[in-house]
Amino acid sequence: MSMAKFLVRRLLQGIVVIWGVVTIMFGLRAVAPGDPANLMLAEGATQELVEQVRREEGLDEPVYVQYLDYVRELVTGDFGYSWQSNREVEAMVIERIPATIELTIAATIVALVIAIPLGVISATRRNEPADYGATMFSLLGISTPNFWLGLMLILVFGVWFGIPYPTFGLSWVSLASISVPFPSVGFYDFPTGRRPVGFGEAVRTLVRYGSVYDLLVWLKHIALPALTLGTYFTALITRLTRSGMVDELGKPYVTASQAKGLPSVLVRYKHVLRNTMIPVITVLGLQMGTLMGGAVITETVFNWPGLGLRLIDALGTRDWPLMQGIVVFIAIAFVTINIAVDAVYNYLDPRVSEQ
Amino acid sequence: MGITDTKRLDRRTLLKITGAAGTTGLAAMSGCLGDPSDDDGTDELTITLSQFPDTVDPLDHITGDFFNVYDHIYEPLFDFEPGEGIFSRVVEDWEAQGDGTTELSLRDDVVFHNGDDLTAEDIAWTINRTVDPEMGVPSPIGTFGLGSIDGASAVDETTVSVEYSAAPGLAEFEFGNYARAMNMEWAIENYDAENEAISGADPEVFNGTGPYEVVDFTSGEEIVLERFDDYWGDEPPFERVTFNADGESSGRVNSLETGETDLTINILPEDVDTVRSADDVEIRQVTSFRNIFCPMKNTVEPFDSLEFRQAMNYAVDNQEIVDTILSGFGEPRGQPVAPGINGFNDEIEPYEQDIGMAEGLVDDSGYGGVEIELTAPQGRYLNDADVAETVADQIDQLENVSCEANIVDFGIVSDANQAGVDPDEFEIPFFMIGWGTITGDTDYGVQGFFTIPDNPNRTFDDEELSDAILESQQIEDPDERRAQLEEVNQLAHEKAPFLFLHTQESIYGVREDIQWEPREDETVYIWGMET
Amino acid sequence: MISDRIRSNLWQTFRKSLLPKLGLVLLASIVFMAVFAPVLATHNPTRTGYYDEQGAEYPPLGYEYTTSVADDGDIADVTVEPTTEHVLGTNNVGQDVYSRFLYGARVSLLVGLLGTALAVVIGVPIGLVAGYYGGRVDDGLMRIADTMLAFPALVLALALIGVFGESPIYVPDPIVAVGLVDGMPDRIPIPGTVTIVAGLVTWVWFARVARGEALSIRSEEYVKAARSFGTSDRAILLKHVLPNSLTPIIVLATIQVAVIILLEASLAYLGFSGTTLSWGYEIERGQDVLRTRPWVAMVPGIGIVLAVISVNLLGDWLRDALDPNIEGEGR
Repeated sequence: MSMAKFLVRRLLQGIVVIWGVVTIMFGLRAVAPGDPANLMLAEGATQELVEQVRREEGLDEPVYVQYLDYVRELVTGDFGYSWQSNREVEAMVIERIPATIELTIAATIVALVIAIPLGVISATRRNEPADYGATMFSLLGISTPNFWLGLMLILVFGVWFGIPYPTFGLSWVSLASISVPFPSVGFYDFPTGRRPVGFGEAVRTLVRYGSVYDLLVWLKHIALPALTLGTYFTALITRLTRSGMVDELGKPYVTASQAKGLPSVLVRYKHVLRNTMIPVITVLGLQMGTLMGGAVITETVFNWPGLGLRLIDALGTRDWPLMQGIVVFIAIAFVTINIAVDAVYNYLDPRVSEQ
Repeated sequence: MGITDTKRLDRRTLLKITGAAGTTGLAAMSGCLGDPSDDDGTDELTITLSQFPDTVDPLDHITGDFFNVYDHIYEPLFDFEPGEGIFSRVVEDWEAQGDGTTELSLRDDVVFHNGDDLTAEDIAWTINRTVDPEMGVPSPIGTFGLGSIDGASAVDETTVSVEYSAAPGLAEFEFGNYARAMNMEWAIENYDAENEAISGADPEVFNGTGPYEVVDFTSGEEIVLERFDDYWGDEPPFERVTFNADGESSGRVNSLETGETDLTINILPEDVDTVRSADDVEIRQVTSFRNIFCPMKNTVEPFDSLEFRQAMNYAVDNQEIVDTILSGFGEPRGQPVAPGINGFNDEIEPYEQDIGMAEGLVDDSGYGGVEIELTAPQGRYLNDADVAETVADQIDQLENVSCEANIVDFGIVSDANQAGVDPDEFEIPFFMIGWGTITGDTDYGVQGFFTIPDNPNRTFDDEELSDAILESQQIEDPDERRAQLEEVNQLAHEKAPFLFLHTQESIYGVREDIQWEPREDETVYIWGMET
Repeated sequence: MISDRIRSNLWQTFRKSLLPKLGLVLLASIVFMAVFAPVLATHNPTRTGYYDEQGAEYPPLGYEYTTSVADDGDIADVTVEPTTEHVLGTNNVGQDVYSRFLYGARVSLLVGLLGTALAVVIGVPIGLVAGYYGGRVDDGLMRIADTMLAFPALVLALALIGVFGESPIYVPDPIVAVGLVDGMPDRIPIPGTVTIVAGLVTWVWFARVARGEALSIRSEEYVKAARSFGTSDRAILLKHVLPNSLTPIIVLATIQVAVIILLEASLAYLGFSGTTLSWGYEIERGQDVLRTRPWVAMVPGIGIVLAVISVNLLGDWLRDALDPNIEGEGR
């Protein structure tokens, strides 16, 4: 099967999946309690106004008409308006995406930087204390709920060590205007009233004004959330790297090359690691859903202004249009990533693609 | 990829940045604090709320957090002093005409932020919009705050006539609190029919007559106000005010501790200690107008029994709940409204826990052995879920009742409160809710729950109580009316339509050098501060 | 089904390493805690109101703290000492933390087991049918599975809790029922809707494993032979395909118990579970008081970590010993 054909097929399947998600969301909204008109209006609206809103929102139409209207709107890219803030759902979703991407990438980097060396050490020093240590660490990592880990990190760093920055309410909201003068951070200081900004903006500050201030503030803010979100992955990748390395190290080409006298370090890292990484990357792709789920909770714990926090807000206020927008977006992201992973897989090993 | 886009680096910020470039040290820094005209850095204020007002329509929500922001932009027509009444502000003078109308005389020097003069027509339109859904631009807060107001019309440029169907005293309480002035032309222009709201996200779309105008608005994050130069009244104390929000009490406290904010609201009792041990900030608290209680809908078993409802009140130890879960930041209460409210009856003592009495009453009611469930929200009121769990456990400790707490999100509780008393229409007869009688009048605290005519959302079905409230609405003499309202509270105490709990205190964390006394109605007015 | 080879593999792996032993000991202690909670507990876990005379929560033994209380408009600082009555202190509503720790184990394990059972019951038949028949059936069922994977568990939980309520399942307590102890609850609620949600979001992994096994077995000679004898598909699935899939399913089920324990904790932490007797909810409670009363969040978290570690160790042991080829470790 050619690559193009494969991609078209997967794309069609992906569309079916997204349609399924949309339909489930509609079904859930239709059966969930709470009159939408009531939810849209503030406490104490009159019956008259409720009726009016019901009419205007088409809530008195038969369910199938509502469903068709809803799907038609989604297809034309109209996600509707948030009940809570009356803003366009699309804009509310898009503005929160960068923060989530920053967090997930930072967490992935944390995971890779710690896990691969740890896995390698563990595999090459099997049954030594370092191996036991790494094994226990990865065991703890996959067994610790990340919201609790986040709280414990806050407790240790924020409360016990008294570092005032990376604690609760780490939102860019609550830090919107820093009225404490910043300590000397090298380069040039910024005046007060400077709000913490995202990574892109921080880099722009560095380029434009030659100041690393924004970048340092960003780093301070993302450190604990990234560590929290990254721990599970660190643990998972450590395990995968270790077992992959152990397998590879037992293969004939390794023993052969060692016999030929190639320096062992070179062997270890160049060939073995490359072969080990293929399954690691595959699993990472498969685990994107987990990463996104983890991001929702991590963002909640640290008040990180990403999509996950917005989802929790939407859930709490039962803002259905917003909830639907976010869920559909997550589904699209999930499907896209899966197709990408499959495509890479297909490319690397054409036999796997078709069963 | 930045969360914030470049345009937010407005001209002033850019000036500050470039001004600071190349220099280090305190001297250089102090030169770029705040406004160039004021170098001491105290002319800025940051207030952290618990909920961000993510709308440009000042009449969109009826929640305290929203008023805290919008009252500075769209100022109230009157000054309201809790427990004292209303005083002139935009409205200089007002007089009941004795024919179901009151005439309001406006100041003639009030202008909107966009430069338009305020006219009587603007005010009439703003009031009509909230009471008449047929107007082109409905107000989402509905008729709630202005329940007895029928409409308003402009008599001349500076005179508005307000029509109402209740006693002038009650109407005065209502428009005294909820009347605002919007710019009619502007609002109609900005009305987005598809979205059914006044919308937009630029600072320019805010247009009131208040002492502050909006200079920066970032949805979901912050709103920045600056003094409005053409304001008719006294210059407010801070040049620049930023409002932001954090849903967690601990997060708000952290912001206060690190100096990122100067004033924050709704601090939980367990965070009080943190604020007290931090430098330069302190706790200020006041008993609020907000009562916490559990309505019991008397159209279903077992709550149709007066004895059973009273038993619930005797089962709970409110003093203990206040002392432990609220760490003392509250007062047990035995009537629907708080002290300081017009009509509060200071002769009513809260129910005191009496297990024997409660068990006896349950037996008398014939509902011995019943199982009930208390539904309660989380994160809405001071330690609400904890209070509910304790209440449920204390009821559960009665020999002949078993009770469990069901903690849900606030929407479900709100639905239960709105669902009325028809047994076919609701599933939750017993739930915990809080009510702030922010108008300062008992009517606002009881009318929605107890009156029967035109009120499908009531939680209690009792002719006697309903009639007593309706009667009070028609009494014109203030003293007589107060006496009748005290009677209403007495009746509510006896009939136990609620499991009465407590009045909660509002706890604020404030920078020490800001002189400001918290208000009972939970609003934060910057013009009430001094530095 | 458990052949000698499997048995010896299990034993060999168990003997060689310390980890399975550790896992088994841990798991046994947690199960013991859960089963004998009424005997081990010092207080009724739902009873509120255990405060010291100043109205403050007790700290754990060996710890003291100061807190602020309001007193007629003033605020005073008070110091709170521990008591031997409450070894791990009390929480925000004055409940005994130690007793709730024990009962929390019950809720976690029960939800983990029931949720996994539900996932097996849904996922295995779907997977077997999809893999055995292939073609359209396979395509359709696998799209449903993909849809479930793309759907956030939180949203599903909230919506279902909205529809069905929290639907607590009351599990009677045999120890209290026979009168061995007094003053403990005679039943405890476990979150029914959350259990269902757990099953609904994890069945996909079982379906995938079962499908893979069915796919590989259906072309085996003995299955072909059975089919040519006219054996019904149903019988083939039950007699031949299912038994052969059991090993990977058992290994996966062990891992999923851990996954579901974490899921339940997360949902309870976010306040979507509706039941307050849960480690996750207890952590949420502790978050509010993290600065002054850190034990409220710390103790239940340790419970979750220990429970999940023990189950994971068991899962690793089974996987190493039985060596099934399975994917899927999502949580």
